[in-house]
Amino acid sequence: MVHYKLHYFGLYARGEPIRQVFALAGQEFEDTRYSMEEWPQHKADMPFGQLPVLEVDGELLPQSMAILRFVGRRFGYAGKTDVEQAQVDAIADQFQDYFNEFKAYFVVAVGFAPGDKEQLFNSVMIPARNKMFQMLSQILRSNGTGFLVGDSVTYADLLLSIHVAGMDGLTPGFANDYPRLLEHRQRVESIPALKHYLETRPFAPF
Amino acid sequence: MFCCGYCTPEEEDSQDATSSKKNNSSLGKKMPMKLYYFDGRGTGEAIRQVFKLAGEDFEDVRFSMDEWPKHKADMPFGQIPVLEVDGMMIPQSAAIGRYVAKKFGLAGKTPTDQAWVDACVDQFKDHYTEINKWYYTALGFANHGDKESLYKSVYEPARDKFYDFLQKRLKKNGSGFLVGNSATWADLLIADHMHTILQLKPDTLQRFPEMLAFKKRVEELPQIKKWIATRPKTPF
Repeated sequence: MVHYKLHYFGLYARGEPIRQVFALAGQEFEDTRYSMEEWPQHKADMPFGQLPVLEVDGELLPQSMAILRFVGRRFGYAGKTDVEQAQVDAIADQFQDYFNEFKAYFVVAVGFAPGDKEQLFNSVMIPARNKMFQMLSQILRSNGTGFLVGDSVTYADLLLSIHVAGMDGLTPGFANDYPRLLEHRQRVESIPALKHYLETRPFAPF
Repeated sequence: MFCCGYCTPEEEDSQDATSSKKNNSSLGKKMPMKLYYFDGRGTGEAIRQVFKLAGEDFEDVRFSMDEWPKHKADMPFGQIPVLEVDGMMIPQSAAIGRYVAKKFGLAGKTPTDQAWVDACVDQFKDHYTEINKWYYTALGFANHGDKESLYKSVYEPARDKFYDFLQKRLKKNGSGFLVGNSATWADLLIADHMHTILQLKPDTLQRFPEMLAFKKRVEELPQIKKWIATRPKTPF
């Protein structure tokens, strides 16, 4: 039997989509969470000096999206055909670009850096959000299945539902102009395996 | 969704019968894949090199800066590169690179090798984001300030961190390539990036002799050597 160990912080951030794939798949895994104090002692053990890392039978795999794709494909949450898999990847990559676009706002909003939160929300977050959310709403509309790619949940859907939930926690009503995305979040979170996971997972601020 | 955008979603069903007839030519051959990008290397070149390394045909569509605005709305995320496969449009350079590489066996031979190829590509993307302020200023696409001081404050620390990891990886892997024992698209992507970096700053990678040897090794692969000699010469 394969042994999986996720090395990450006690945060959702780049680890949560991976955890939710394990939850959907009903797959046990060791959910290691480093505190900020412990982490420096382990940094040199990690292939690229960063987290998350997924340890699979002793082999350490870095990079959140590489891990997400690896477990997504292994457990069938990454798209059913090769073209669908590429489409799921494309959405995941677009999310990374989007995260980079609003990073300047995010680090201030969660207290990692000083700055004018209001000003950055308006100048950085809102334009980035509108561009991304419009594209995703359009994809949901034209795909017509309630999911972003194909006719069942993939890790692209997890990236979206986790983002909408997280940003709504930070700024209530964040996605209210995008009813299709609110509906999508409800749909994903109601999947029984996820519903149970969400009710029992450890809390994290983001 | 992600289809070529020439019909609205509501018309899709009625178009299906006719469009499938269009795609199956009388020769019964599948249409080659079509890559849309600028007339440059940028984030499109590694994809082209995957086709070349695999010896596979593709349509290499290159938009000029003047033409591009007219096509922007056709692209799923308003950007290029985009790969068109049987009428389906796939955006995002890494998603395309992986799709094409997988098809031709250049994405890693086992699932963990594939994950490692992905990890190297993603680490490269992080590096690319980190150096952006200097890189785009040096290439003339942006003006984030004084090129030389950006080089010192932005590029040098990022470079050292990134290439240290890659050299460690090469040493651990031992085949002369980043993953497995033959070239993958991760090798093509990083070697091509190094090409642009060395054009901008010829001495900047002197501290990384294994990486310079790696770049040469990739460029000497026969199909890549041939492509480099014959491809359009562009500044980026």
